[in-house]
Amino acid sequence: MNFKKLLSVFLIGGLSVVVGGCSNETENTITDNVASSLPAIRILGMSSSEMDLNILADQLKKAGFNVELNVQPDYSSFSTIQDTGEWDLSLTGWTTVTGNPDYAVRDIFASTGAYNSQLLNDPKVDMLIDQAATETPQVYKKTYTDLENYLVNEQAYFIPLYSSLRMQGVNNSLMEPTMRQPKSRSSVWEEYTYIDTALNETRPFIMTQTSATLTSLDPIQANDGSINQLSSNINTRIISLTDEDVVEAKGSLSYNFAIAQGNKEYYFLLKDNVNFSKVEDKKAVDTGVRVGAEDVVFTLNRAKDKDSVPLHKTYGLHLHMDEISIVTDLNELNTTITADTGVPILETLTNGLNVSVTALTDDKTQADNNNGVYQVVKVTTLNPFPQVLNYLAHQSAGIVSEEQVTLLNSKFDVENYDATKDVGYGDFNAIKSGDNHLWMSGPYALTYVNDYEVAFQKNPVYMPETEHEPRIKDIVIKFIKDTTSANSAFRSGEIDFLSTVDVNHATLLDAEEQFTVMKRSSNAVSYAVFNLAEGNLFTDVNLRKAALYAVEQQPFIKVKNDLVNPAFSTLSTIIDTGNVHISDLEKSAEYLSKYFAE
Amino acid sequence: MIKQEVHSGIEFYQKKVKKRKLGASLEFITAQLSWQFSGAISCVALLSAYNIITNALNRMALIISILFLIQFAIQYFVTTKISKEITSELGEVTSKTRKLGLLLIPFVLLGNFFMFLSGFMLIQKDKTIEYNLSVYSLLTSIFILLISAMNLFKDSVVETFALGMGIYGAYAIINLVTLIACSKWIQNGRINRKLLFFAILGLVGIITGNVFSFLMGLIILAKYFNKNSETSIEWIDVIRRLFKNYMSCIGMFIIVFLISVSIASLLTFDYDIATLNNYMALLQPPSLMYPFGTDELGRCVFTRIVFGARISLLVGLVSTTIPIVIGGILGAISGYYGRNTDNIIMRLLDILYAVPGILLAIAIIAAFGVSTMNLILALSIGGIPSYARTVRATVMSLASQEFVEAAKACGAKDGTIIFKHIIPNSLAPVIVRATLGIGSAVLSTSSLSFLGLGVESHVPEWGNILKAGSTYLETNPYIAIFPGLAIITIVLSFNYFGDGLRDALDPKLK
Repeated sequence: MNFKKLLSVFLIGGLSVVVGGCSNETENTITDNVASSLPAIRILGMSSSEMDLNILADQLKKAGFNVELNVQPDYSSFSTIQDTGEWDLSLTGWTTVTGNPDYAVRDIFASTGAYNSQLLNDPKVDMLIDQAATETPQVYKKTYTDLENYLVNEQAYFIPLYSSLRMQGVNNSLMEPTMRQPKSRSSVWEEYTYIDTALNETRPFIMTQTSATLTSLDPIQANDGSINQLSSNINTRIISLTDEDVVEAKGSLSYNFAIAQGNKEYYFLLKDNVNFSKVEDKKAVDTGVRVGAEDVVFTLNRAKDKDSVPLHKTYGLHLHMDEISIVTDLNELNTTITADTGVPILETLTNGLNVSVTALTDDKTQADNNNGVYQVVKVTTLNPFPQVLNYLAHQSAGIVSEEQVTLLNSKFDVENYDATKDVGYGDFNAIKSGDNHLWMSGPYALTYVNDYEVAFQKNPVYMPETEHEPRIKDIVIKFIKDTTSANSAFRSGEIDFLSTVDVNHATLLDAEEQFTVMKRSSNAVSYAVFNLAEGNLFTDVNLRKAALYAVEQQPFIKVKNDLVNPAFSTLSTIIDTGNVHISDLEKSAEYLSKYFAE
Repeated sequence: MIKQEVHSGIEFYQKKVKKRKLGASLEFITAQLSWQFSGAISCVALLSAYNIITNALNRMALIISILFLIQFAIQYFVTTKISKEITSELGEVTSKTRKLGLLLIPFVLLGNFFMFLSGFMLIQKDKTIEYNLSVYSLLTSIFILLISAMNLFKDSVVETFALGMGIYGAYAIINLVTLIACSKWIQNGRINRKLLFFAILGLVGIITGNVFSFLMGLIILAKYFNKNSETSIEWIDVIRRLFKNYMSCIGMFIIVFLISVSIASLLTFDYDIATLNNYMALLQPPSLMYPFGTDELGRCVFTRIVFGARISLLVGLVSTTIPIVIGGILGAISGYYGRNTDNIIMRLLDILYAVPGILLAIAIIAAFGVSTMNLILALSIGGIPSYARTVRATVMSLASQEFVEAAKACGAKDGTIIFKHIIPNSLAPVIVRATLGIGSAVLSTSSLSFLGLGVESHVPEWGNILKAGSTYLETNPYIAIFPGLAIITIVLSFNYFGDGLRDALDPKLK
């Protein structure tokens, strides 16, 4: 009897659930699309951008494409797969560290580009890039807009995703969160100071970076995240960038610079208050050797010479230079006219100077600015190319000592260089093992590096008693491989400054009173390129467009807590072209049917 | 003085008797665990209902807490009643109290399966193995219906949802009828002919993954065709002993439930909710629509865990079966032949044994790439030596026994002796080892996925979900808590089940 009651209870319960199931609206899964008849799109990416890959794949799936993910653990295995061509769409990124539009497009989209992994070879793209290079900012805006329209709207060579912010965490009990946050250039260490200035002399300032292997400390032998910040602060340059990527002389080795009419000749008036520093017993000491025009000429000549060193990584940035010389004829500066103002070069160069130029010398030991004896360097370019100045502000144009570099690099032949036994200037392994042969012109000297950290000490003779003299004596950068551990170390007070804050950690840090996350736009753009090599799926423009219009940028921005910005191309962060990427599934389907109609 | 000592001695003795009486009563054990469980859940829910920092009150958690508090009160009342009656002069539960069991059963709808089991154990006086199995079988079906019904709170359900619910609803009713039939038509261990129909229905239940109903069908058929003389069937005995251990039953129930849910999810769960992103619902806290919340890409964590069970179980089962077969054969050969054969095989396996299993797995996956197949392969190879050792030891002791010598004397070939006589007799320790091994294989799968070396990251696998959650441990802890609990539960279940199985298979504990 009991069981009968029980039975009825369960019968009613069971039936109500079933009925409920029927009355609920059923869902049609992904609309059957013709695209599903295509072979699966092989998307290549790195595990560090797993979330982006997921979103990209998800959107293409929702548009009806078949998708296959290929996630590689690190950059080297990623680029190996990229070279084999076994992919259709590759998630990649580009940071324009020089802040000029030429650098934002040449290496990745020009047919000769060193990072043109998609094998884009389009004469019109090459033509537009070359044309824009010769133009001044007022004129090139239109050319670059045309280029952007052609690349994305007309040809859909890549899918733009977003541009990241530059986010840095400061422990505000130690330091005011008001330090410079440049858009492109590296951090300006010489301006860092503790709130309690007494600590500047005694307390090492501790920062962090992910890579513990530094490619090379010879500025021209590396151009990557492992050395960018370090090299920028140990080697000074003849020109600098403002936080908004405008070229300026302030904070560089020059008092002033001038562009002569025709945009082919560039003049720099050098300071005489910087000496090279070297390291003895893990301490920075003065070499007594001044950084002068001879070193600048030597530095730039080796930068533009493809064969000056083995593994020259930055030749592409400097190949536009023709001749670098020391100007000794004061008359030349009086007769040559500045490009935009029309006044003589000398007037532009001496603008704001306390002691006027009475004589020029080609011997750096003779230079004496207080008595009017100066040094001037002249750089000419092969074609009119105003953007050369941005490249001269790049870390790869950091001034090195002629005598020290020659001393080390004359011991071997560039052609027969053997990395296992020859030690060139800046060799990381040699420096790590204690043979610190560097002569450094920058505000800081690298004192030692081991598996855990790299340490710096201020250059004793770097623009002393000016606003550019380094404040904090010791700086240490700890190597912490992943952002989560770095974040924990920062929160526990183990490190003082977090150079890159992950989007997931920003809100957490912001919530704590002790920390401030400084945010600003940067030139880092993420995008996905189509493989254009012969025989690949995406050699067809209609199919590329179908994929392009299937991808929406808003989800990326939303998932990253609104801490990234929309982008249309690598140019978006540098020039306001007004272009915006709008996804449109109908358009996508339209192009797809066009593709099948062919 | 002496009087007092005698008195306390008697008291001590009475206490012991009381304890033994209670311990032998399944009614009491199940009831006790049930109130403990209800109380614990109520406390946890209460603690999570109030946020100390923000002073916010979580209404859902509070309601859950109150509901379980009610269950706790009812169950506690019933338990004290049972306890009193058992320790009283009567020595058994009265039929009036037994009727209280009916009150406990419906609470299964709130997910309290301890109360359900307690209720059914209380109602029936003579609990045959068939009755036990049908109770668990019914519980499995109800739980699948409940879990699937959670999908009703979502915006939409998968096309096959109604069909799935219909099938499982119907099967739950069949289970209930079978349960009643079992309690009526088995008298003194004799099977009524009418039960055969239900036995066949029970066998069919294996399609849904319901191992309990399958076993029940098998037992009924075996008993009936064995002319109802149950003592002669060894494996039924093992199962009966297994069901005397309540914890191992719970373990077995959870395992069977996960197997069933892996199959049921084919019909009633929407795979798209688990894998496709929903940018409108990023990092949502737990709610009726998303019982375990959503992850950073807006995917329902609950649905992902349900689908994750499939992979965890598949990898766990396959990567345990492969080394059993390979290791078992190698162990049997080396144990049977001894001397040089033994030396060569075992020394080679010793080398393999010296390599840490997880390192070997990492190396294999690093070499061949991340995929489910490679993961199974990687976990399997590391398990071979331990199974080989287990089998070898048993075979060595069996090889010298009389029945083997008799077979040899009869002129049986070595292969026949090994596979017909020795291996069947050496299975027990391997089976026990395997159940424990599955647990650790599930754990290894999740660990490797957590390290990014298991299955592909978008696949809903428990380790993957846990990894995604670890990033949000501070802000959205539920993403990591629930997959973590799932992993703990499955490993614990396999361990309890393996424990019970060992006791059941041990001839000394008969």
